[in-house]
Amino acid sequence: MRNFNTGKENTWCPGCGNFGILATVKKAINSLTDGGIPLEDIVITCGIGCHGKIFDYLNISGIYGLHGRALATAEGIKLANPRLKVISFGGDGDSMGEGLEHTLFAAKRNIDLTLILHNNGNYGLTTGQASPLSKIGFKGLSTPQGNIERPFHPVNLLMEAGASFVARGYSAKMEHLQQLIIKGVQHKGFSFIEVLQPCVSYNNTYELYNAHCQILDTIPPDEETARALAKDEEHIYLGIFKQEERKEYCDLLMA
Amino acid sequence: MEKVYNIIVGGKAGEGVKKAAQVIAHIAMAAGKYVFQNDDYQSLIKGGHNFSLVSISDNPIYNSYFKVDIIISFDDRSIRTHRDKLLPGGLHFVNQDDAASKDEHMISLPLSSLMKKLYSNPANVSLAATGIFAALTGISQAELEAIVRKEYRNNTEENLRFAIAIYDLCITQKHEFALKLNYAKGAIGTFHSGNQLIALGALAQGLTHYFSYPMTPASSILHYLALKKESHKVYAVHAESELAAANMAIGAAFAGARTAVGSSGGGFALMQEAFSFAGMAEAPLLCFLSSRPGPATGVSTYTAQEDLFFALNQGHGIFPRIVASPDSFERAYSLSAELMELAWEYQSPAILLTEKHLSECSANIDLTSIALPKPFEQPSESEAVYKRYAITESGISPLKFPGKGNCSPDDVIKWCSHEHLETGVRTDEPDAMIAMKDKRLCKGQSLIEGTKKYQRVAFYGTEGPLVFAYGSTALELRELMKYYPLRLVVPIYLEPFPYDELAWYRGQEAIVVEHAAQPHFAEFLRQKLGIISRGNILRYDGRSWDTFELLNVIEELQDA
Repeated sequence: MRNFNTGKENTWCPGCGNFGILATVKKAINSLTDGGIPLEDIVITCGIGCHGKIFDYLNISGIYGLHGRALATAEGIKLANPRLKVISFGGDGDSMGEGLEHTLFAAKRNIDLTLILHNNGNYGLTTGQASPLSKIGFKGLSTPQGNIERPFHPVNLLMEAGASFVARGYSAKMEHLQQLIIKGVQHKGFSFIEVLQPCVSYNNTYELYNAHCQILDTIPPDEETARALAKDEEHIYLGIFKQEERKEYCDLLMA
Repeated sequence: MEKVYNIIVGGKAGEGVKKAAQVIAHIAMAAGKYVFQNDDYQSLIKGGHNFSLVSISDNPIYNSYFKVDIIISFDDRSIRTHRDKLLPGGLHFVNQDDAASKDEHMISLPLSSLMKKLYSNPANVSLAATGIFAALTGISQAELEAIVRKEYRNNTEENLRFAIAIYDLCITQKHEFALKLNYAKGAIGTFHSGNQLIALGALAQGLTHYFSYPMTPASSILHYLALKKESHKVYAVHAESELAAANMAIGAAFAGARTAVGSSGGGFALMQEAFSFAGMAEAPLLCFLSSRPGPATGVSTYTAQEDLFFALNQGHGIFPRIVASPDSFERAYSLSAELMELAWEYQSPAILLTEKHLSECSANIDLTSIALPKPFEQPSESEAVYKRYAITESGISPLKFPGKGNCSPDDVIKWCSHEHLETGVRTDEPDAMIAMKDKRLCKGQSLIEGTKKYQRVAFYGTEGPLVFAYGSTALELRELMKYYPLRLVVPIYLEPFPYDELAWYRGQEAIVVEHAAQPHFAEFLRQKLGIISRGNILRYDGRSWDTFELLNVIEELQDA
């Protein structure tokens, strides 16, 4: 098994959910290459924020892009060489805020990429402001009186936008997350994987997730059921909410 | 001096005014003439007033004339707008069904009523212009039929009846028009707009992916390339925004595709960060910036040169870039190709700066006579382990592309928007920062040498007052030089600045002509060469110059 180390000093906070994502991504990529995907065909992109540091901790080709633009960059790569398997990492500020348009349009196009959304519910690297996924009442530097905006439901948003593979994992449930990433990369079309990721410094959700996360046994039979399950607050469901076959963008463009 | 014949076709948007003018230009071209077409239109789809100017001559034409030999008005507004532009002895054809302002000197044709009679669903009356022009210039009825079949694909039978009816009417009326055309003579070159030539230049140099969001006057590059998918294996992607387009282009370049982006000033404002990213990541990002009057939304469909400093200073931070502006149709083609090659050789962003006037005017161009750049030599890789940002003597690091032939399975290719180490891994260490900044600046020095392979300045004329201009303003000046001598100096490359070629002009007095409300180009020349402007000719109403109007302004300045 390759460790993909770059020698770059890891600067995430001790206990950060990103460690679980990094370790899981490494395992998933090893498993994908064992399964026959050449490593040189795997390419990564990321935006800016805590999530983006994963780029420096993975000795894999790719682009450390601009804040919010990782997915647009990834689409360019895919269009230039559709054989490449492109995995894009985004934060919740990145993919759901500054770069939301690219997230929705990548899903709309059903371009064959995988977006791994590091959802820590706040802007970590800029020291804890409310993100588009922060709960109402979240107190951060920019919302000292509490967040007054309703958060997006990323799973539902992406299903509606047209993503053909939509899933949710948890950074501490690594084996489950690994399977989601493998399936997401193998899926032909746009794959969206929301990863619940506690931020130990500004939004420590370990207890909440450990108490409420529950793995779905099967893919919900229809989007209505999937939407209800994704929004359930009693249980935080993990698993694949949607997986369908739909014509892929590069195939259509280059037909 | 060879006579230049000029024609105005005017009517409502959606009536096919531009198409009518194009057909006239095509007919003249087929008869071995040089043509120049200039379209004046508004930001609306139906109604309003559009007009096109077509010029025809035995010599190349660089700009329009606003005093004309023929006016064809499809509606009353066109009559009112253009009646004063008719030269003595000229012919003004009007649609008698929409001609309240007509006078006895105008020639009435029942365009709308005839169309109602001949069509089951009356279409655009503008087809009449083809019949009128054919009758005036001695085109035979058989030739007219062939032209109508070729140019207007729908409703062919009705179109033929209508065009021939108009043609017969004009023949019967026996109008005098000196220009006679031999339709079968054979065309010189092919008919292209500046934007088409920009697209073709990039295609000639390997463009495979074009990313854009529509914004006039750059949109027609997107439209043209979208039509070339099958024939040229190029993908034109209409992205969700300019931000997406520019970042997609950088991604595509990373994977080895020759790409370009295009927009006007507003769209480029949105691409600033990505442009800066291209500087940092050393991405070959070719940009087509076609200006219109600003600031902000400005005036969508007219011309301006307000974006000179914007283009020169595009993107935050310090990094090498190329900015160059084509001064002719031919140069739109060759410069686009050169900039593609330079962008890739020096892994830097490059801007082809142009204006609505060149982007959307059309003329016949002999593409086969234009030399294209030779592919540059890739620097060889010396180190055992591939490093994307390897520090080299030239500042240029070898490029490899993931999953492509020049890449081995162990190569890790990391492009980075952060400051980075040679490996592409992020750094904020002071020594590493200096090393990488110096590497990019060193590359900038190499880039200066690289641009010297190409013609960086154009010189026209050997006597008369010294005049500086850039971009399509040079076209306007060259046309008036048929009547008045100038020593016209046109920097094509603006960054890196062509000091060598222009050293002789340092500190000289000159007239500076530009389409801007403030003399930015004159200021640029003062900064770079100490040029003392003895008169700034500024035009900022969005319109291009009438050749003789500009001639008068220069003459007055000269006599003052």
